[in-house]
Amino acid sequence: MRADDERYFERIESQLDEAFAVAETARGKGGDPTPEIEIPVAKDMADRVENILGIEGVADRVRELEGEMSREEAALELAADFAEGRVGDYETDAGKIEGAVRTAVALLTEGVVAAPIEGIDRVDLAENPDGTEFVRVFYAGPIRSAGGTAQALSVLVADYTRALLGLAEYEAREEEVERYAEEVDLYDAETGLQYSPKDAETKFIARNSPVMLDGEATGQEEVSGFRDLERVGTNNPRGGMCLVLAEGIAQKAPKIERYTTDLDEVDWPWLDDLIAGTIGKSAGNDDDADGSDADDAEDQADEADDGDETDDESESAADEDSEPDGPLRPEPSTKFLRDLIAGRPVFGHPSEAGGFRLRYGRARNHGFATAGVHPATMHLVDDFLATGTQLKTERPGKAAGVVPVDSIEGPTVRLANGDVRRIDDPEEALELRNGVEAILDLGEYLVNYGEFVENNHPLAPASYTHEWWIQEFDATDANVQALADSTRVDLEHPTPEEAIEWAIEYDAPLHPEYTYCWHDLSVESFKTLADAVAAGELVKGELALEPAPEVRDALEALLVPHNQAADALRITEFRALVRSLGFDENCDRTWERLSTEASAWPNAMKAAREVAPFALRERAPTRIGGRMGRPEKSEQRELSPAVHTLFPIGEAGGNQRDVSAAAEHVHDDVGERGVVPVQVGRRECVDCGERSYETRCPDCGGVTEPRYECRDCEIAVEPDESGRAECPRCGSEATPTEWRTVDIREEFHDALDAVGERESAFDMVKGVKGLTSKLKTPEPMEKGVLRAKHGVSSFKDGTVRYDMTDLPVTSVRPAELDVSVDQFRELGYHEDIDGDPLRHADQLVELRVQDIVLSNGAAEHLLRTADFVDDLLDRYYGLDSFYDFDDRDDLVGELVFGMAPHTSAAVVGRVVGFTSAAVGYAHPYFHASKRRNCDGDEDCVMLLMDGLLNFSKEYLPDKRGGRMDAPLVMSSRIDPAEIDDEAHNMDVVERYPREFYEATLEMAEPGSVDIEIAEESIGTDTEYTGFRHTHDTSNLALGPSLSAYKTLGAMTEKMDAQLELARKLRAVDETDVAERIIEYHFLPDLIGNLRAFSRQETRCLDCGTKYRRMPLTGECRECGGGVNLTVHEGSVKKYIDTATRVAEEYGTRDYTKQRLEVLDKTLESVFENDKNKQSGIADFM
Amino acid sequence: MPRPTPVRVVSELASRGYNAEREAVTLLARADDLDRAIERATESAPTDTLTLSAEDVETALPALESSNPPADTAEASDTSTDNPSVSGGTTSHGSNEATNSPVETKGSAIGAADGKLDEEGGASERSVNPELRSLDVQGDVTGRSTGTGEYADFVATFRDRYERLSGLLRSRVNHRPTEAVDAMAGGSDAAIVGMIADIRSTANGHWLVELEDTTGTFPCLVLKDREIAGVVDELLLDELVAVEGTLAGDGGILFVDELHFPDVPRTYRPSTADRHVRAALISDVHVGSQEFAADAWSAFADWLHTEDAAAVEYLLVAGDMVEGVGVYPDQDEELDIVDIYEQYEAFAERLKEVPGDMEILLIPGNHDAVRLAEPQPGFDEELRNIMSAHDARFSGNPSTVTIEGVTILMYHGVSLDEVIAELPEEKANYDEPHKAMYQLLKKRHIAPQYGGHTRLAPEERDYLVMEEIPDVFHTGHVHKLGYGKYHNVLAINSGCWQEQTSFQKSVNIDPDVGYAPILDLDTLDLTIQKF
Repeated sequence: MRADDERYFERIESQLDEAFAVAETARGKGGDPTPEIEIPVAKDMADRVENILGIEGVADRVRELEGEMSREEAALELAADFAEGRVGDYETDAGKIEGAVRTAVALLTEGVVAAPIEGIDRVDLAENPDGTEFVRVFYAGPIRSAGGTAQALSVLVADYTRALLGLAEYEAREEEVERYAEEVDLYDAETGLQYSPKDAETKFIARNSPVMLDGEATGQEEVSGFRDLERVGTNNPRGGMCLVLAEGIAQKAPKIERYTTDLDEVDWPWLDDLIAGTIGKSAGNDDDADGSDADDAEDQADEADDGDETDDESESAADEDSEPDGPLRPEPSTKFLRDLIAGRPVFGHPSEAGGFRLRYGRARNHGFATAGVHPATMHLVDDFLATGTQLKTERPGKAAGVVPVDSIEGPTVRLANGDVRRIDDPEEALELRNGVEAILDLGEYLVNYGEFVENNHPLAPASYTHEWWIQEFDATDANVQALADSTRVDLEHPTPEEAIEWAIEYDAPLHPEYTYCWHDLSVESFKTLADAVAAGELVKGELALEPAPEVRDALEALLVPHNQAADALRITEFRALVRSLGFDENCDRTWERLSTEASAWPNAMKAAREVAPFALRERAPTRIGGRMGRPEKSEQRELSPAVHTLFPIGEAGGNQRDVSAAAEHVHDDVGERGVVPVQVGRRECVDCGERSYETRCPDCGGVTEPRYECRDCEIAVEPDESGRAECPRCGSEATPTEWRTVDIREEFHDALDAVGERESAFDMVKGVKGLTSKLKTPEPMEKGVLRAKHGVSSFKDGTVRYDMTDLPVTSVRPAELDVSVDQFRELGYHEDIDGDPLRHADQLVELRVQDIVLSNGAAEHLLRTADFVDDLLDRYYGLDSFYDFDDRDDLVGELVFGMAPHTSAAVVGRVVGFTSAAVGYAHPYFHASKRRNCDGDEDCVMLLMDGLLNFSKEYLPDKRGGRMDAPLVMSSRIDPAEIDDEAHNMDVVERYPREFYEATLEMAEPGSVDIEIAEESIGTDTEYTGFRHTHDTSNLALGPSLSAYKTLGAMTEKMDAQLELARKLRAVDETDVAERIIEYHFLPDLIGNLRAFSRQETRCLDCGTKYRRMPLTGECRECGGGVNLTVHEGSVKKYIDTATRVAEEYGTRDYTKQRLEVLDKTLESVFENDKNKQSGIADFM
Repeated sequence: MPRPTPVRVVSELASRGYNAEREAVTLLARADDLDRAIERATESAPTDTLTLSAEDVETALPALESSNPPADTAEASDTSTDNPSVSGGTTSHGSNEATNSPVETKGSAIGAADGKLDEEGGASERSVNPELRSLDVQGDVTGRSTGTGEYADFVATFRDRYERLSGLLRSRVNHRPTEAVDAMAGGSDAAIVGMIADIRSTANGHWLVELEDTTGTFPCLVLKDREIAGVVDELLLDELVAVEGTLAGDGGILFVDELHFPDVPRTYRPSTADRHVRAALISDVHVGSQEFAADAWSAFADWLHTEDAAAVEYLLVAGDMVEGVGVYPDQDEELDIVDIYEQYEAFAERLKEVPGDMEILLIPGNHDAVRLAEPQPGFDEELRNIMSAHDARFSGNPSTVTIEGVTILMYHGVSLDEVIAELPEEKANYDEPHKAMYQLLKKRHIAPQYGGHTRLAPEERDYLVMEEIPDVFHTGHVHKLGYGKYHNVLAINSGCWQEQTSFQKSVNIDPDVGYAPILDLDTLDLTIQKF
């Protein structure tokens, strides 16, 4: 580590220490569930792993192993330690395996996610028929957060430990095998899997897995075929198991194989078949069931499935040998179009001309699952794309976060007057937007090399761009340096004459500026265009062509800018075009007919190459389809309904959970104003022994502790280490909670007095109905009053949070962050990216790993949170305020927590500036340390002092998953070796070499190309620096500040805009879009609601009691109140009219229309009285 | 040379890729040189013809017109299978009805002075007298669906269920409203007729069954060591039972000693028809599916034309005429006919294969283009017009049809899935679907459990209550053949006409394809014909 980096971390840590000192004093005063800060600082991953698991000795062992081997190997080594009793204190074999599996998952997830504690329920042993014992691992839903690799390896670790302990393998019974297949399908249908294994694959895994994958029941639907099996405890799908089998073993087989081959004790030869993808494809697979007709039929069915799948999944191009008659291209993939929903437009159908053009490079705000889009494009797609909007994409990954990059080419449009032009300026895009008749091309789409590495996607043929051309030009005899130095020559944007001259004289391919999309033109159109040019004439230095539709179409396909006059199509820069069409410098045609080879080629590329006097490269061979995913996010996190204090008020506060209303409420059973029975923790003052539910003794102000009491014997019981408390007298379980009446009125008014506020200081203080935590410790009312006053609300763990979409940035300009150079220097930034002293606000500075940029909304929210914290320190804890902010500039340099859902570890970050984009920009390593990438993911920030003061584990819900998304531990500094390794695949170079571009044309594997990625610097001195980029962008927040998806109103409005846009885009088939909206959004909604209607629960309007079936009395059995439906006609029918209209307007298939017709009849039949049908006017005549 | 049978005509035509209207077959069958006649008829038919009409044949074979009708009528059949009874149809039964007469006896009914037969082609081995028939449908929701999806409609449905089924149980116990039981002293004996609101096991393994009536609910405890504890397995939510027992000391709970289902009395005696006449009880045709068993269907239709089937005068189809659209995701990929109306047209063509003189009744199933929620109304006007072949009749699902005195409860069978899922294997399973039907008979309700698989459309009355005991209970849906008698009620789940689908394969269902249960209405004997 460089000294500079060391100083940076020390500075953060000293700020942290300062805050800790204040928070410790405050918490020591006993106003919280515990007198200590509850977020321990973890020095490194080993600490986090041990902290999360609570198994002593793991951290030391992890540190020992860390330097010597990979983390996966360390997990296996630790498994051996568990098996042999060197780590952990387990008596049973099952316990040892459980410890080993949990530790492996924790290790593989860097001790950040909650999967090791929440995702593995337990490990059991069971007996085979021969009396030997096999291993059952019970997974639970939250195993999802571990990711496929860790899930798969957890099975391997269980098997390895099993082998070391000398236990037998699991032998699946045939009905269990079938059950796995049905169950995985059911889970996939109900919940959805990232990877849906074919039945044959599932069965193959089930037959071969040496440990039994088992799990807790999740979901409501039950399997219908293989029920009530002896060794399967449930008829519901076991979600955790399905995830491990499908997204783990099936999807990540190659990754597990790496380790099985190295281990003598485990032998998974069957993985080879899984990897080879032959399972379920050929009749001669390992499907060892007897070869009955039924099985044959199954094979055939599977084969048919495979056919469908390969269409979608095969990313590799067709084999050169088998298809010599076309250019090498990646196979179009329609996967991203699945589950299209209303209001989120499609920007391009798969690999369709006119869609995004793949350009390689990494912008400074780019990489790590993002896509660079020109801001002009963002505006032209009617603002549906904004910074941070998620794009579901055809390749290389599944999804990407959109970032604005204005150093790439913008979109090409046809205006209402027929003019075709490219728009490279967002302002111009806004001006012209209303006049745009068609979007002929979406412009370039920047993807960095690392993205292909991460997704292990073969490189797709690159667009011909300046950065490639210049390297090719440089390789010729031309004196490129001299040209570059010349003031008269612009190498990036030369004149047509220069471009033609260089191409002919130096034998370099024609400059990309004048290379047109010949590959998007048919040979026929090529000839038509050539004929039109031959018949054209030069008018005032412009080429005028006959305005025939086919000529116009050809020019549009090529993306040649032109104007349309009444009598002619006029092309200003026509020279390179006509030369490419085989005309000489005098515009005389040089050819009669094309060769057979050129004519037989599926597009005009060979024709142009044949007749042009210079070499031509394909301009944009790879088009990338995409559609909008999630909109970007920048909002405060609120529970629903919002909560200001985790103080229980029962039903007394009404639906709004209004504390002041509860304070006035008279409960039937109590009869005293504001006194309400609620279930709360039983606490006892350490000093005076006074019993209460409060965390601070109401008598003496001392610290209180939970008191477990036996319900029957009414004696206090000390819980043991595992948290269980058994009554020594009667043996029943002692509980720490009780029902008691709480005087909300008194609580509320005392709190107001204590913090010196009146009710007029805020709208409403909202409490909660009841507490879901184990100890049911209420939060102090004072905190709620102050939160309400400052307009912030609390999350389930007592913290105040703000959510933002994650985006990466590696270099920033102080100016774009709305901070001054001086502030930046105070933050420790002294040099710009080139090593020059930092003097101007527009110099580019490399961002440090824990520095983050807040959205404007986040800054405003954190300011309010800071005011709340200051008030809290002052009026509740009786200490000095901590922040004392005047304006948002004061936030610069302050520490926050970053925290992602599904994880249990927070990361300390430092605020360095602000952006108008509705996203959280930060260093990719910061996001990766929270185990997020930037493909549309969002997570939250919390103000440091708020977390330290207000977080308590005692508030966390006592249920599966309750410990997720809670800062059980914090990382004070990021170790690049301990983050999600996806970030290591980001490339960090300033330019890609010529060999790279050439390799893309061969669709080479990304690994075969040499471009430096971040991984290479890990563990070295420069691991925190040197993140270079190939493309700049003038501002991080270009383009619309919010996606139209968020600014448009009702769903139908969004959908109409979506379909309107589909009509404009050349790359989009609007009928298909309409079809998909109906198929994937409207129909499922209609069908689902109709089904829900006919088997719905009912609910009492007064007391909220739910009934599975309508009571025969008609009214509520609890309170006598009115009962009503939970699914009404309106919610069932809401989309039928819209869907029918769209189906008509966009001409969808009859099949779709008929499905709607049938549903419409159904709705009529269910909701209309046959005997009271609307009559025609004739009935009254 | 024996005269060619219509069967031969049909198979000859089929081998040339044609279907034919019944009249056309009759005309062709009369030709002296059958092969030549068929050749001419098929050659001269318009090229896009799939089904030869009588007109086609007449155009092709003008000479044949003059040669009919043939005069070689045989003796009228000497068998009249049943004596007329007073409970029979309204028509006279006096004639020598040739119900199982040989082929050569065609035309015997001409003597019964029914000119209509001539009009229908007359010459057939089947000879029927529609006057003898009676087919009467009750309990059909079609055109009577008054529910508008309001809360009150649901309440009305369940109240109606309670009223009607409790009527069956009240006579058996000394029923007290739950409200009254609540007020009774601890330790006293009590009985309740109630709808099951909840069933759960207690910590000690006993069963707590919450019974509900129109005054409230009352908890009833079935002790695990009691014999009746075994019955708890058979209980479904929302069915009606009567319990007898003793109130606990504090009066808060009833200890159950006896539990009664509405049930069918063991002494039940079904009615029969007065003559030998038979009905084919089928379901699940699934025309339009790639798996539709066309050959089996045609073989069935051909058989109906034979002498063996001469007494089969009724055809009852318990739902799923077609495969439908949008029944499950991506269904279009597995459809042979993607257009729903074309599916029904194709079904109508299939229906035309069966003899035109049969009485046909069609009710919808879950694949049909009517509402899914039960009770399902019959096909709408548009679909009826498509399926107009042979004057088929239509009614809702379920419907009770009385045929010459025999009441047949027709129900498509969606609730069987739930019964099979909820009850123990030995009481209900897919291989013995009739056992699941026994359960429904015992509960006297077609689909008791609410809120699960079965979808309910609320109506002013509960159309799914079996207030009257049927003589025959006919269902389909699960694509498995199964039949048996429950307290003398014949339960038949007909198989299907669709080969195993990939979905069925995935859930381990091996369908029974191409079986037609044939019911003798005079004896209620069942013959299973396999095609």
